[in-house]
Amino acid sequence: MTGIEKITALRPIFSIREWMGWFTRDGRHFQILYLSLFLTYGIFNLGWDVGLTKFFVIFSVGMAVQALALYLVKAPMHGLKSGLITCLGLCLLLKADSHWALAIAATVAIGSKFLIRVRGKHLFNPANIGIIAAITLTNDAWISPGQWGSSIILLFLIGILGLVVLFKVGRVDTSLGFLLTFAALDFCRTVLYLGWEPEVWLHKMQNGSLLLFAFFMITDPKTTPNAPVARIIWSMLVGVITFVVTNWLYFHTAPIWVLFFIAPLTVLFDRFFKHKPFQW
Amino acid sequence: MNAVKVLIVLLATLGVTETYAFCGFYVAKTDANLFNNKSEVIYVRDGKKSTITMSNDFDGNAKDFAMVVPVPVVLQENDIKVVDRGIFEKLHDYSAPRIVEYYDQNPCQPVYEDVMVEESMSRVSTQSITMMDNVAMNKDYKVTIEAEYEVGEYDILILSAQESDGLKRWLLDNGYKIPSQAEEVLQPYIRSKMKFFVVKVNLEKYNQSGSEYLSPIQISFEDNRFMLPLRLGMANSKGSQDMLMYFFTKNGRVESTNYRTVEVPSNRNIPLFVEPKFQGFYRDLFKNAYHEENENSVFVEYAWDVSPTAGVKCDPCVSPPPVFAEFQKAGVNWVSGMNQSSKVFFTRLHVRYTRDDFPQDLFFQETPNTERFQGRYVITHPASGDFSCDAGQNYLRDLEKRRKKEMNELTALTGWDNKYGDNYVKEFSNQIKEESTPFVSPSNDGGSGGGGLGFKPMYLFALLTLLGVAWMLQLNWNKQGV
Repeated sequence: MTGIEKITALRPIFSIREWMGWFTRDGRHFQILYLSLFLTYGIFNLGWDVGLTKFFVIFSVGMAVQALALYLVKAPMHGLKSGLITCLGLCLLLKADSHWALAIAATVAIGSKFLIRVRGKHLFNPANIGIIAAITLTNDAWISPGQWGSSIILLFLIGILGLVVLFKVGRVDTSLGFLLTFAALDFCRTVLYLGWEPEVWLHKMQNGSLLLFAFFMITDPKTTPNAPVARIIWSMLVGVITFVVTNWLYFHTAPIWVLFFIAPLTVLFDRFFKHKPFQW
Repeated sequence: MNAVKVLIVLLATLGVTETYAFCGFYVAKTDANLFNNKSEVIYVRDGKKSTITMSNDFDGNAKDFAMVVPVPVVLQENDIKVVDRGIFEKLHDYSAPRIVEYYDQNPCQPVYEDVMVEESMSRVSTQSITMMDNVAMNKDYKVTIEAEYEVGEYDILILSAQESDGLKRWLLDNGYKIPSQAEEVLQPYIRSKMKFFVVKVNLEKYNQSGSEYLSPIQISFEDNRFMLPLRLGMANSKGSQDMLMYFFTKNGRVESTNYRTVEVPSNRNIPLFVEPKFQGFYRDLFKNAYHEENENSVFVEYAWDVSPTAGVKCDPCVSPPPVFAEFQKAGVNWVSGMNQSSKVFFTRLHVRYTRDDFPQDLFFQETPNTERFQGRYVITHPASGDFSCDAGQNYLRDLEKRRKKEMNELTALTGWDNKYGDNYVKEFSNQIKEESTPFVSPSNDGGSGGGGLGFKPMYLFALLTLLGVAWMLQLNWNKQGV
């Protein structure tokens, strides 16, 4: 018996391999890690002026609602991870002047997952409907699409790489379907038609909020169509409408609103494109 | 012709159904002012309606003045006004970064005195020069005069163009010198179906008015877009330009939607000797902040609720807050008195832009954020008299520490070398009795200057915590066999 085998036999408290095995087993772990990185980047590197109490409100309300709902429907508690992702999403995208607005956002976001369901899937993206609820119901909340600046693209590229390598393309098709459609249409208009330099287009595409939306919001498997083809068509539809809304109505938070109205179409897509539903 | 330069202000419009959007300045002359190449604009936004006032701080010969402003629609005569230039001065002074002065009390001889003095940066002027004459039409240019007005001391034309080359030739042939950086964006604006608002001075009227200055021009229109077409103002490839924007909205702060909006460092304690050098201090502070934010951010310098019903409109006030008369001049037309519908929020943004770092025009949004903000820097005068009592000795030790912090703060804010700071820090040290010093800690507080926690370690720490939590979860879930 070699020394190495002896150590293995003793079952160390911390084994990198075991840990990685556990970590990569569930796509949500990666999402939690990645969104937390964004949050720390926002707070420490971009110096967001956010009260910690605001985050506390989002997490405590969100997680409490999630735990209560899981208990009531007798679902396993690992569902808390999804709640964590939703709360992180809210922290990253939603700004508010009052704690009430944040509490409403967290409650609606998590509540919608359990109350508004069609055939086991959520009708609305949780963070998305939470944000829309806070903005429309309270008059106290808003989204700052410019808060990331345009220097964050590197972090995204690393993230995408990680996503591809670690999870063998989970829902990256949705991200790319949306992003490529939007980018291509916008390139045609901004550069080819209007005659702006490519930098202008590039600057639009580097917007951190757009990328965050593309990689972490519309990829939610519970609110996107099950079949890959349907998913791509669906995400391209989001891309086309976002393009129209940003370029003609000048709605800078367009993706969030477009997703809100398009998400329910998932039900139709699932009816026409049969595919087995996603399981974490 | 050498003196011929152009002030260009553009209203951008892309798209089909909509009308409008707006302005960026080109200010040609570089001089020794606080911020070179500075322009100012007042922007009132109510729903889709925009009222924009552009300052014409022009002190050349009035006949040399001209301005080109792309606008989304053919403006009607009553959409164009001239206003008193005093409004800019008033808003500038009201919202300028300020020094606040405090006086220490001598703990050995308590005196009840609490004085506060404020001082704001004095107003600085910028200049712009342009010229235009012999407005002539030629079919080759494919330029059409859509309307022609006389407003105040100005003659105004509204042009539409079909191609950038024609418009460029028209402008050149009529006495404008189009800077190359402006020329490259004419095409996108034409494609966006913009009209061009061309202004020159009517000398007869100007002379009749007897005024020394040209009046600011104010235009109003409705459009979905809430923006300033900076790119047209980027006429000069050399260096950066500054723009101060004073916004009036109904609900809350204005922020940029396509660039980061950050607050300038504020509420910092700085050394006493900065007071006479305050302008230089703020200039360097802004420069420092501009570099630290990657040279591509928009800065908030002031934000406050200035509704008639709001109590305190500044703290401290360096000049009177805007009241009904200023609202009227700026184009805030929803204020009717002391009532709830007369809410007005004022935001002052300062942007330093270059073509490379600001490729896109500046877009804005109004937010419900009503948090107050001002650029405020605190100086504290030491107490005087005899400090021989115990409390006095402690005071002196604290004073030394405080001044050390102030020096570090100063360096962090402005990058100023603090080699002369030693005298300042030790100014009262000779009054500290040697025998009572054992408790003075060789502290290094204040070493971090601007309150920085050291971002990198914090970042790492957060990561490690996260990994730790993940690991604990793993153990927990492994036990449950999930």
